[in-house]
Amino acid sequence: MQDFKLDKILPLVQKPARYVGGELNSVTKDKDKVDIRYAFCFPDSYEIGMSHLGIKILYSVANAREDTWCERVFAPWPDMEEKMRENNIPLFALESGDAIKDFDFIGFTLQYELCYTNVLNMLDLAGLPVKAKDRKGLAPIVMGGGPCACNPEPIAEFFDLFSLGEGEELNSEIMDLYKEHKKRGSTKEEFLVDAAKIEGVYVPSLYDISYNEDGTVKAVTPKNGAPEKVTKRIIKDLDSVFYPEDFVVPFIDVVHDRVTHEIFRGCIRGCRFCQAGFLYRPIREKSPEVINEQCKKLCETTGYDEISLCSLSSSDYTKMEELLNLLLDWTGEKKINVALPSLRVDNFSEELMKKLTGVRKSGLTFAPEAGTQRMRDVINKNVTEEEMLETARIAFSGGYCAVKLYFMLGLPTETDEDVEGIGKLAKKVVDEFYNNPDRPQGKGVTVGVSASSFVPKPFTPFQWEPQATQDELKAKQEHLKDTLPSKKINVSFHHIPTSFLEGVFARGDRRLSEVIELAWRKGCKFDGWGDMFLYEKWLEAFEETNVAPEFYANRKREYEEILPWDHLDYGVSKKFLINENKKAHNAETTAHCRQKCAGCGANKLNGGHCDV
Amino acid sequence: MFEVRLRLSKTGKLKYVSHLDMFRIMQRAVRRADIPLWYTEGFNPHPYISFLLALSLGVEGINEPVDIRIVGEMTTAEIKDRLNNVLPAGLEITDCSLPFNKSAEITYGAYDVWYSKEDISSDKLFEALSSGELSCQKSGKSGRKKIMKTVNVSEHIKKFSLEEADGMILLKVILPAGSTFNLNPLQLTQSVGDYLGISLTPVRAVRTALLCEDLSEFR
Repeated sequence: MQDFKLDKILPLVQKPARYVGGELNSVTKDKDKVDIRYAFCFPDSYEIGMSHLGIKILYSVANAREDTWCERVFAPWPDMEEKMRENNIPLFALESGDAIKDFDFIGFTLQYELCYTNVLNMLDLAGLPVKAKDRKGLAPIVMGGGPCACNPEPIAEFFDLFSLGEGEELNSEIMDLYKEHKKRGSTKEEFLVDAAKIEGVYVPSLYDISYNEDGTVKAVTPKNGAPEKVTKRIIKDLDSVFYPEDFVVPFIDVVHDRVTHEIFRGCIRGCRFCQAGFLYRPIREKSPEVINEQCKKLCETTGYDEISLCSLSSSDYTKMEELLNLLLDWTGEKKINVALPSLRVDNFSEELMKKLTGVRKSGLTFAPEAGTQRMRDVINKNVTEEEMLETARIAFSGGYCAVKLYFMLGLPTETDEDVEGIGKLAKKVVDEFYNNPDRPQGKGVTVGVSASSFVPKPFTPFQWEPQATQDELKAKQEHLKDTLPSKKINVSFHHIPTSFLEGVFARGDRRLSEVIELAWRKGCKFDGWGDMFLYEKWLEAFEETNVAPEFYANRKREYEEILPWDHLDYGVSKKFLINENKKAHNAETTAHCRQKCAGCGANKLNGGHCDV
Repeated sequence: MFEVRLRLSKTGKLKYVSHLDMFRIMQRAVRRADIPLWYTEGFNPHPYISFLLALSLGVEGINEPVDIRIVGEMTTAEIKDRLNNVLPAGLEITDCSLPFNKSAEITYGAYDVWYSKEDISSDKLFEALSSGELSCQKSGKSGRKKIMKTVNVSEHIKKFSLEEADGMILLKVILPAGSTFNLNPLQLTQSVGDYLGISLTPVRAVRTALLCEDLSEFR
């Protein structure tokens, strides 16, 4: 429909192939023969969105339904947006080129807090009001999912519903219900009241929030039969759950362009800062045979020459040896590489490395997260210095000469000594290289230290902790730089205001909707992209709406306080989180799930079972 | 090991896919088609796939030569069929045969360029193309520095003809192509627009063939 208009503007924008669809394995259907049109939106660029596994899975799940045509939508880059607005081209779906305004569902995956303004911008580009209450008809239903749905309060006013947890089954149930209501000619409200009865569906408009004088939440009151607590959904059996037989293969280069396969969900480790480690519990593994067959199929249908096995901590997969043997049996001959990101330092073995070292030996990345043992005990990152140095030794003997170390600054209880510890640890890694007789000859070592700023997140033991203020973070960065003991260490930091804003949204409440809308109206978008981040505009937006961002980011909460996300249940109990928080302050560690069950409570979602 | 020359048609939306991306797209297609490719030897083996001449972003091609190297036995007919079974819409192999010319023999490209009558008239277009005064800016190098150079376009138009079809103006034009100097129909259009003082973009531009110096078809 819009082809002609598009052909006029596409030659004028960067990477026009982002906007034309038609990639291998993209799904085209007859729009007159489907009941539901679903726009699956990723509120970031094509290159980022197309790298995401979740969208590939849910796209295929939806399109496996004969009655549904699911299409992809990404945030147009600003040069494209400008041309679209100039030429009155509304936001369209890639497969059909049709405007998404008239679709039945517009679903956003919310992977990080700094994409919120892009959500608003995309709704606006589509020609829709950004606030849910201003979108009167049944369609489109604007829904959100993904990790940020665990505290969707800051963006609650823009969405009709959120789906909590894993979407493979839940999304279909929502669509089935919608279809009934569409036939019946229901209003949006009628549909939403019914949808709220599905386990895992959170309809924010069905909850009234009241506040105390000090600004904290006083009560969350459900109405119209909405449940008091909404519990996230999980897939109980990963072997039998739907997995795509093909992926859309982009024409252009994207960030992760390969076969990706999830080997398990959940994590046994319980690092106290890590939201994913708690959100995705309980741990469930997929069997090596199933993974192997699915990888084979995907390689055949895509032509990819790389398989990446992903999870939160891949070396914790109990059947890794078996899986690698199955995979390496056929991938070598077909010249397919197997990559294994997210390895832990403590069980990184020489043998594993030999199996995985194809040809490229560039850099190796580890995440000690903190510089001293005390600090690592606080965050429950159960890795010792000896283990890390041993890993570095193996890596250097194996031919690596660049190591990147990830740390966080601003962790709870952190002292100057802990900050200095980062530099000291990095220096020991440098020394390990020069003391290693088997090191790559004729080469120097580079040790990269990347120090991000810690952001406390909901559903972690640190959800009550104040985020370090911007001044404190600045001082910590300076201190780290000033105490670096070697010139072989390159240190890089995260942008502080960006982390601050992330901290505000992560634990924010509904009053932030107004701020986000205003900031967007002032021109904020792509906030996660450093060069497009407009901090001044954000500060103006906070000031003009009379909202103090520090209240959300830098305030210590009491255990008794009602948190804005307390009516959402991700399996892990508050009692467990409180206990973990107390242990953190005593620098006491908690053993991982396979050593001893810590009783987090998430197994209730899976009939009391964990794959430990 | 033997080399075959594919003829690739790249039309429709695929015109927005860059030359650089095409290598990866073909590499994956050949893998899906399970064609036994010859891999380069060395540290980082990769299949031998060579697009003889880049096609500019925004220009379609219906006869683009791509050379690949095969090990083992497979007929050219089977190679063609297998690839066509796995290529995305917009890409098609129209021929597969043994190479005849050497890539260095490519001298010209033949293009069909359509213009909307709303944008320009045949007379104006003819006037501009015959003026002898068309020029455009091309990026070039002076030593190591990147600079913009003014190129006389008119002297590079080897041949052109105009006709009207389907309510549009069809320009058939032969422009230099190859390893030494290239001029693409979008640059030509730009220079026509500059000459006439209007903003002009073609509705469609297609490379129909590559030619050798004597204007015989490159095979």
